[in-house]
Amino acid sequence: MSAFDLIAGVLLVASALAAVTLRNAVHAGLALVGNFLVLATVYFALEAQFLGWIQIIVYAGAVMVLFLFVIMLLFDARADIGLDPLPWMRPVGAALAAVFFLALAYAFSGIGPEHPLAEIKLAGGLPGPLGRLLYGPWLYVVLLIAVLLFAATVAAVVLVQPGVRGARKKPQVAERERELEEVGR
Amino acid sequence: MLLLLIILLPLLGFVFLGLFGKQLREPAPGVIASALAGLSFLLVLSGVLTGGGEWAIEDWLPGIPFGLVLDPLSGYMGLVVTGIGFLIHVYAIGYMHGDEGFSRFFAYLNFFIAMMMTLVLAGSYPVMFIGWEGVGLASFLLIGFWYTEKVNADSARKAFITNRIGDLGFLLGMALLYSLFGTLSIGELREAIETSTVLPLALGTAGLLLFVGAVGKSAQVPLMVWLPDAMAGPTPVSALIHAATMVTAGVYLIARSSFLYANLQDVSYVIAVIGILTAAYGALSALGQWDIKKIVAYSTISQLGYMFLAVGVGAYWIALFHVMTHAFYKALLFMASGSVIHALGGEQDVRKMGGLKKYLPRTHLHGLVGALSLAGFPLLAGFWSKDAIITATLAYPFGGTGFYLAGLAVALLTAVYAMRWYVLVFLGEYKGSGQPHEAPPVMTVPNDVLAVGAVFAGFLALPEPLWNLIEPYLAPALAHVEVHHMSLALEWGLIALSAVVALAGLYLGYLAFTRWALPKWYLTFQTWSANAFYVDRVYNALIVNPLKELALVLALFDGFLDTAYIALAGVSGWLGNRLARLQTGYVRTYGALMVLGLVAVLVWGVLR
Amino acid sequence: MSYYLLLSALLFAIGLYGVLARRTAILIFMSIELMLNAANLAFVAFARNSGSLDGQAMALVVIALAAAEVAVGLGIIVAVFRARSSTSVDDLAELRG
Repeated sequence: MSAFDLIAGVLLVASALAAVTLRNAVHAGLALVGNFLVLATVYFALEAQFLGWIQIIVYAGAVMVLFLFVIMLLFDARADIGLDPLPWMRPVGAALAAVFFLALAYAFSGIGPEHPLAEIKLAGGLPGPLGRLLYGPWLYVVLLIAVLLFAATVAAVVLVQPGVRGARKKPQVAERERELEEVGR
Repeated sequence: MLLLLIILLPLLGFVFLGLFGKQLREPAPGVIASALAGLSFLLVLSGVLTGGGEWAIEDWLPGIPFGLVLDPLSGYMGLVVTGIGFLIHVYAIGYMHGDEGFSRFFAYLNFFIAMMMTLVLAGSYPVMFIGWEGVGLASFLLIGFWYTEKVNADSARKAFITNRIGDLGFLLGMALLYSLFGTLSIGELREAIETSTVLPLALGTAGLLLFVGAVGKSAQVPLMVWLPDAMAGPTPVSALIHAATMVTAGVYLIARSSFLYANLQDVSYVIAVIGILTAAYGALSALGQWDIKKIVAYSTISQLGYMFLAVGVGAYWIALFHVMTHAFYKALLFMASGSVIHALGGEQDVRKMGGLKKYLPRTHLHGLVGALSLAGFPLLAGFWSKDAIITATLAYPFGGTGFYLAGLAVALLTAVYAMRWYVLVFLGEYKGSGQPHEAPPVMTVPNDVLAVGAVFAGFLALPEPLWNLIEPYLAPALAHVEVHHMSLALEWGLIALSAVVALAGLYLGYLAFTRWALPKWYLTFQTWSANAFYVDRVYNALIVNPLKELALVLALFDGFLDTAYIALAGVSGWLGNRLARLQTGYVRTYGALMVLGLVAVLVWGVLR
Repeated sequence: MSYYLLLSALLFAIGLYGVLARRTAILIFMSIELMLNAANLAFVAFARNSGSLDGQAMALVVIALAAAEVAVGLGIIVAVFRARSSTSVDDLAELRG
């Protein structure tokens, strides 16, 4: 394990923890962006250059931007406020995650490279070789992904059609708004 | 088809009156029911005159056909049942006037006629058993007709349960016969038994078991306890069911199975002994009764004993002869008692009667004729049939002098209590407090017909050398028995003796209950007799109460079982409740549960 | 190489925790993205391991999928917010009982 691996690992874990624990949603989003960027560098190290660029452009550049956009649109920056009806979820969730990690770690522990690393020829994960793979054996998958993206676009447009404006608010919702106001004050 | 109609018409009456009777006004239900009964009578008559017939549904039960047969025996019995039944239906229109269960009563009466005819016309034992149970049910419904009184409901239950004990014997006998011969059709069984040279040993048991059934239905000792209590029902019921027809079903069963009993000497002996015991018990108990209907009821028990004595010695046709004459005079006695009760507005205690001769002249005539016929007054119907039985004990193969003397003694007692009944009700001074008025014609006319029968029916079968119409008519349907005919002089001498005994008894009774002061020992005897010799108390102590205790204990266990089941059900309810808590509605709990599942599968996969 | 796999497992577990513990729909969604990326990391590590580019192709597919999912998911969240003026997931408890 090189120093790079170590530093990358630390950064990844730290940013992930930040993303799941920070109370301000924007800060959590930014931590996640950092996580994705570090992940991109890891991809570069693992000879997946094309994928790394895609990670930066699509994930960090489009998806997360969209997230932050929606957070700010919904004035939802203050997360996790008010009374938590399920206080036991935190410790239980942590426990479950820990067990999960341990089990998976145990399963992964014995896996090593199939061939000595020197012989592996990934051609750096450049677009050429990858493209040949995608438009060859993986063609159908690519076409399906295209259909999926199309469907997602249509769905997204339909979902955000202007709905019933001024609908009656439910009592819980009204109560929630009052709570929000109170905390805000 | 005709045979089926005989049963179906009254059954139709039952259904129709049961469903719609409430909407008909009096006396419509009674008229309809009587008409249907009368129609049945006419159908039986026409069937008899045209030579009988058969009708069957093959393979009704596996291997057993549902068969009806009209042969001399069933025709004879059928005429008695439907004829007397019709007269009593008409009488009941008057007797049950004003009762709010008027239509229900006639529905039940019609049901009874239908079931009795099923019993009579049966061509195989299972069909007869259907009728057997059916009349038991009708008896239950009718005894407990005024069911709002606890006494009546209890009496009905007592009758049904005691009958049931006998029915068990009937069922076991049927099962045994089926296992021995593979058939339960009476014709086939008769052929099998009469043509076989060696009879299976178990046949005696089968015969005995069938007789147990007869003991229950015909109120013989030891199952006679239900008959006096059955007087809780309306008088027409007592007349029809518990005098003329249902209780004679046992006699009919034995006569039908005569081919069986003619070969079973020991079983026949047992039958005769029980018969004479019952006759004696009935007569002795009748002497002390104070209820007008109970006197007649115990008299019925006694006369039924005579009939069983007759079948026991092998004189099947004589028993049936007595069935007919008894039907006439006993129904007459019951209906006259009914007229008296109706006249006095419900009074049944003879100590509050007396001197009714001048208030109820027609009924008085009926009562006199009935009592005389019962006692065996010479030349009346009862005289001929009872005498035939008594003489038969000497002439028929399974008889003996012991039976003869006992029969004669009981005949004397019969005359005494018959006279007692008449004297206490009609002679002397009226001791009651009501205003006696004569019954309406709808009640007296049927009684007139019965009185004629009670006088003249005996002339159908007279001893040698006079004519006998019944014996040859019934002979094809009954087993042939070797009769040891006595000389004419002996026969007529014995007849004269019976006549003397009857007259002596009547005179004795007259003197004892009008003139004499009764001695101490007799009064003690009378108390014993009035309580029917405490048989009920003995049965209660030995059988009924222990069973009741057992039932209570078992009910306790039942309670435990119930609690256990409810607890078990409660567990599932509790479980459901707890599981319902999982449906919190929070997405995150569902997510957590999914993750839990995921982790569980992963761990399991990793550990494998 | 197992180092990267362990890392991937760790990131996935952290994402799992995030899904359960966060109460706002958007933050839950972000945790889901974290999980997806952890899976991607595993794919790329395996690709490096086995010397074939299939792992990277799969990772590419996953990224495309995630993008589509985000589009639709955020659309749903916005729609729900419009109806209830609240993004707390705990308020959507109508299926209770």
